[in-house]
Amino acid sequence: MAGRLLPRRVDFWTGVTILIVAMLAVLLILPILRVLSLSFVDADTGAWTLANYVEVFTRNYYVKGLKNTMFVGLLGTLGACLLGIPLAFFAARFHIWGRAWISTLAILVLVAPPFIGAYAWIMMLGANGFVTNAFQYIGIETPTIYGAGGIILVFTLKFFPFVFLMTQTALNAVNKSFEDAAESLGCTPLQRFRKVTLPLVFPAVSTGAIICFVLAIADFGTPAILGRGFRTLSTIAFSAYRSELGGLPTMAVTVSMIMMAISMLALLAQRRILSRRRYASSLTNLPVRQHLTGWRNWAVHVFCHGTVLIAMLPTFVVVYTSFLKTNGPVFVGGFGFESYLRIWRTAPDAIFNSFLFSLCAVLLITIFSALISYVIVRRETAASGAIDFLMMVPYLVPGVVMAIGFVTTFRSGAFSGISVATLLILLYFIRRLPYGVRSTTSSLRQIKPSMEEAAINLGAPPLTAFVQVTIPLIIPGLIVGSLMGFITAINELSGTLILYDSGTVTMPVQIYLAVLDGEFGLAAAFSTVLLFCTGICVFAVFRYAENRESTFV
Amino acid sequence: MASVDITGLRKLYDQTVALENIDISIPSGAFYTLLGPSGCGKTTLLRTIAGFHEQTAGRIAIDGEHIENLPAHRRDVGMVFQDYAVFPHLSVEDNVAFGLKQRKMSSRDITARVAEVLETVQLTPYAKRMPHELSGGQQQRVGLARAIVIKPKVLLMDEPLSNLDAKLRVDLRGELRRIQQELGITTIYVTHDQEEALAMSDIVCVMFQGVIQQAAGPLDIYLKPANRFVASFVGANNFLAVDRQEGRLVLRSADTEIDGQATKPSDGPLVAAVRPETLQVFTGDGTAPSSSIAIPAKIQEVSFIGREMEVFGITAEGERLKVVSRPDPKVINLPPGSPVIFAAPRDELILFAEGETGARL
Repeated sequence: MAGRLLPRRVDFWTGVTILIVAMLAVLLILPILRVLSLSFVDADTGAWTLANYVEVFTRNYYVKGLKNTMFVGLLGTLGACLLGIPLAFFAARFHIWGRAWISTLAILVLVAPPFIGAYAWIMMLGANGFVTNAFQYIGIETPTIYGAGGIILVFTLKFFPFVFLMTQTALNAVNKSFEDAAESLGCTPLQRFRKVTLPLVFPAVSTGAIICFVLAIADFGTPAILGRGFRTLSTIAFSAYRSELGGLPTMAVTVSMIMMAISMLALLAQRRILSRRRYASSLTNLPVRQHLTGWRNWAVHVFCHGTVLIAMLPTFVVVYTSFLKTNGPVFVGGFGFESYLRIWRTAPDAIFNSFLFSLCAVLLITIFSALISYVIVRRETAASGAIDFLMMVPYLVPGVVMAIGFVTTFRSGAFSGISVATLLILLYFIRRLPYGVRSTTSSLRQIKPSMEEAAINLGAPPLTAFVQVTIPLIIPGLIVGSLMGFITAINELSGTLILYDSGTVTMPVQIYLAVLDGEFGLAAAFSTVLLFCTGICVFAVFRYAENRESTFV
Repeated sequence: MASVDITGLRKLYDQTVALENIDISIPSGAFYTLLGPSGCGKTTLLRTIAGFHEQTAGRIAIDGEHIENLPAHRRDVGMVFQDYAVFPHLSVEDNVAFGLKQRKMSSRDITARVAEVLETVQLTPYAKRMPHELSGGQQQRVGLARAIVIKPKVLLMDEPLSNLDAKLRVDLRGELRRIQQELGITTIYVTHDQEEALAMSDIVCVMFQGVIQQAAGPLDIYLKPANRFVASFVGANNFLAVDRQEGRLVLRSADTEIDGQATKPSDGPLVAAVRPETLQVFTGDGTAPSSSIAIPAKIQEVSFIGREMEVFGITAEGERLKVVSRPDPKVINLPPGSPVIFAAPRDELILFAEGETGARL
């Protein structure tokens, strides 16, 4: 990045850069700074103090929470790697029947509402789950799904697709000559994998793992539903916020800061490790897929299909449950649409709100993604470098933290006139903006700058060139990014739980409340509606990510 | 039709000098070529004129009107890009009409102008096609049509032919020159291909390290290079050591006085240059004419490439000499190491001061 903050010649894009920086300052930096400063404030006197941090690091309640968070975060990540890496290797190196199906299911697991896994496993393995009951009937005691074990299981099955998809992409790009060379130098296949292939894809594996870890420690829904006294930092921050309501949420924000610090440290550690491993590779010799025979073939197929099917199991259970006949919270046997009718009768506004908030947020995401990615890719100023860096921050800030930042910043003082609905839209917007920016940026990097230069040279002012030439060329990336933003916005739970009031209930909040009330039928029907919307978006992503590209390249 | 005057142009990237002391004056209607190796600043200069780079200092005037502080979209200079930059989402005619629409021309006039220009670049049958249905050469014609349709005061071309294959490059080169002369449009053309530059230009401007080395007609650039860099970059050249013996200049490898060749007095170290096509090869039984300087050498390699042969020899001083001449079976059959005489006509010898850009003496 060049040293200059803004280019010397002021034009349209200088104005856009200033607008973006101002927007990020208000919606991203301000709430985070607010959270940071509140963590140093005494709740009763309002004076500056370090007592909050002292309390977090000395009181058993918080120390236990910190240990629990690290424990389930690390083991969940480990589990995701243990499933994801072999799956990626098998899919990239062997002929697997139904590989496209495996990838599709893995992506569906990734985008499914985050807490469905948790309560679907309760329905299967909980105190009154059907698997538990079935085993009890034949006299076998099943291990409990509640507590650390269950959370780790759900994290493993929920997050392994990150490791799988990233590792698979990297494996497909490893030049086969490296592996051939290792083999000709006398490596056995296993040695070759350990000493050549794995180190080459390590950057991708570690990136996938770090995403798992950051998401696992930020996850609220899973420990909230499965924890039963096993508290993690996110549930502690949430209940601290709830109990401090009315006063200053100092303990909630202090715990939040610890969560953010863990995410950042993890990311920095990974960057540090990766900085010494940069492999330039030319793709002259593509890897080939091997045909397996006999029991090996069977084992590999069972592993691959088994993994994705077990990971999809919660989704199947939820959809199935939603069509069971119910009377209030009780399943009465047989099939019926009572659960869907109850949604319609009790909370149609949740569906309406979910769509309204997500669509408004996505509209903002689309507009800002296009502008931000242009500034990042085409403008070499210090400001564009800073914007690029800031786009990573929302990934690292847990939803609970961001929402507490929003409440403490915008529900008081000069901003207090803003409605809850607007705040939710802005929260979704800022948290999901990086999805849009990332996809649009990679699309724009493939467009040669000479396209816009040609338009400008022919007399088009910068805005006209952007609208008439740049936008049509990055449409595929923009659509994919917006769809990803929509999928993640409509499934948002943790931030909404902090901000919502009676008029702004969304579908994820309804599901969460229904699960807490033991209304599994109602929760399942809501979840199915969410899954259906998400599924349509995934289908659209697939279409746009493939067809449109080929027409423009 | 417009003249271009650039004075004192300077461009710094952080601390690196990209352009220094650029003074250029282009008469109206001229084909002006910026020639130089990659990184010499020629593309930077072109893009600064177009407004895509901002100069650190200096002025650019078209027809006496200063444009250096105008934004790129208001400079009214047409540009043809190395990678064509044809909009992939617009048809050929929409590409060509793009600039006219920005000028808010009526749609009837646009249709007429587009048709006329497509005729000029011979793309009329392709008007409705999409760019991906066209070959590279056709895409570049679209790029040209799009740039000339707006009747810009100046046409800028950034290595427009370098992405095309050799044969097409030569064909399109002739066509570019024809269209330029028909329209009489002042053109600034960037290339690293000296043959292209010599064949097309009214004026060739040789650049190196951000500085103009020489700007002159193609013949003068070739025959009267202003400095050693121009002599070596445009066409091939042999450089030979020159000694001063008692105040007189002596070609070391021939031990022959060459004092008469210097046009200017000097006292620093210098070198002599002689073009490969002016040298003649004499085997043991021939004798060099007296108007030539005889340089004894040994054959290193002879390659016969059809229309001509290339003879490489090495002098007793270890200087490598190249000769290009009509094929001579006697020479072609010489084994490496054979003694020969390279004869250099005295008036073909040019002297330069030592150093990469040493001035002509």
